[in-house]
Amino acid sequence: MEILQFALRKLIGGIPLILGVTFISFLLMVYFGPDQTFELLGKNPTADEIAEVRHQLGYDKSFVVRYGEFLKQLVTMDFGLSDSTGEPVSSMLGRTIPVSIALVTPGFILGNLLGVLLALVAAYHRSGWIDKAIMGFAVVGMSVSFLIVIIAFQILLSSSFGLNLFPVRGWNVNSVGDYVMYVTVPTLASVFVALGYNTRFYRAVLVEEMTRDHVRTARAFGISPMKLFYKHILKNALIPIITRVMFSIPLVVVSGSLLIESYFGIPGVGKITFDAITSGDQPVLKAVVSLTAILFVLTLLITDILYRAVDPRVSLK
Amino acid sequence: MNAPASSVTSPASLPEERHESIWGKALYKFRRDRTGMIGFTVVMIYFIAALGVWLGIWGTHWSDVEGPKWSPMSSEFLFGTNIIGQDIFQRAIYSTKTAFEIGLVVALLSTMFGALMGSLAGFFSGTWIDEVILWIKGVLDSIPFYLFVAAVAFAMKDNPYAMHVAMVSTFWTTTGRLVRGEVIKLRSFEFVEAAKAIGVPQIVIIFRHILPNTFHILLVQATIVFVAAIKSEVILSFLGLGVQDGVSWGLMISESTLEVLAGFFNNFIWASVFLFGLVMAFNMFSDALQDALDPKKVAAE
Repeated sequence: MEILQFALRKLIGGIPLILGVTFISFLLMVYFGPDQTFELLGKNPTADEIAEVRHQLGYDKSFVVRYGEFLKQLVTMDFGLSDSTGEPVSSMLGRTIPVSIALVTPGFILGNLLGVLLALVAAYHRSGWIDKAIMGFAVVGMSVSFLIVIIAFQILLSSSFGLNLFPVRGWNVNSVGDYVMYVTVPTLASVFVALGYNTRFYRAVLVEEMTRDHVRTARAFGISPMKLFYKHILKNALIPIITRVMFSIPLVVVSGSLLIESYFGIPGVGKITFDAITSGDQPVLKAVVSLTAILFVLTLLITDILYRAVDPRVSLK
Repeated sequence: MNAPASSVTSPASLPEERHESIWGKALYKFRRDRTGMIGFTVVMIYFIAALGVWLGIWGTHWSDVEGPKWSPMSSEFLFGTNIIGQDIFQRAIYSTKTAFEIGLVVALLSTMFGALMGSLAGFFSGTWIDEVILWIKGVLDSIPFYLFVAAVAFAMKDNPYAMHVAMVSTFWTTTGRLVRGEVIKLRSFEFVEAAKAIGVPQIVIIFRHILPNTFHILLVQATIVFVAAIKSEVILSFLGLGVQDGVSWGLMISESTLEVLAGFFNNFIWASVFLFGLVMAFNMFSDALQDALDPKKVAAE
């Protein structure tokens, strides 16, 4: 009951955030966004035809009215048909979101797991050469651009100049085997890029927990290293770890895959959103923007509940 | 920390014996940090390269078609030529200037803006000003970055500074958060209470007495934002949202995507090496700066 009340309060508290995100998106992407008037008109339109089309698109209405209509469509979840393909927006999203999730999930999980593992090794051997080597590699990993990593991995793994093991680009997945073939190179690239940042972050968190007084005391009492690590270090380090993992989820799903999707020609949600921005496809934009904002509020909510689950001292008030 | 504002803002003029100030200590620590000094030296070499381009000493032929396409590395074309016969060395050198332009503009503006918003939010924490600034931060952090840049680029009708505007308006949030926390801490210090007691206007307290004491955070943040800006430029240029006129490492890498398929790697490799060198050096410099300026880290080691 307490959790339900808390969730409801949080969701209501998230309304200003949703309003803000939709307002900025409306302002940038719709009000100042690309003008579609002349794409819908034939050659040499008359002034009347132009006015007619602008009226259809709603360009002649005032800012407030247009924003109101934008919000109304958000609330009713009525996104209609895409301007550029004529496909229902809901079916476009239904098609692309699973692709994006399938694309980013392995890399996201591996990147964080390996990050925690490497951070653990580094923190355990703090100031030793293993620590220095791992942290040195982390800085190198942080300094390589994502684009360079993608191109280099593609050359090395899927071109005739390298091992030529995987398809160069595309997303033609019908079986688990296909999935593994298409997802491997993007996953390796995103793990490589994320690993440096993750390792550094997690090492800092773990070192902070390891240097606490109660850990020193526990060690003095002769608690076994495994128990010490699990019960006294990892449990306390969970809050920053959860925060980092949770808050990267919405961004990873929507835009983290954009570069990979456009480079490998994968039809994911990042790609259709990017195309929608460049072509002024308002129905798609509305849908993606509002879903992202809602995803953010839900993430905030779930994160708070998780805090409570790992740390009973956190109150849900 | 409680030193008068005037001496805090000019660390270089500090006399040697004043080790106890954060800047004296930091300089002392930084000089002993070997990786940091290497990073700083490399950044300076890049900076001189950029300065030379800016003054028109070298890198002047970056846009000329001077040779056959894809000629190999030779004494005439140090790094070979690209798909239309432009000298890759000239282009890589010229791009150093582009990188510094983007990095410095974005780092400076977003740090200034972050400092302003952060100090306002911190000084007025608990009031509506703080709430509004926190709300703006939350909203900006909730919009996926590349989509935001794309939207800004199209809203500004292909203005060459759309990329800069988008980066500044999203990169200030972290600085703002850190400054806010520091200002909340500083607000209860005696020198602020004293200034309040003798009737110094709030605006003067914020800018004269509080903000200069957050300068160590701003400096570190500026170096982090610099790196982020250069790295984002590469991806934005690939997506067609980045540098509009001129050349950058990002543009070189994105034009090289056609070349690598044909087996010509010079453009890709050299643009990557230049980019990696600067980012790596800046990261090393930034880390050393953080170690030197963070009083908590001193205590932990």
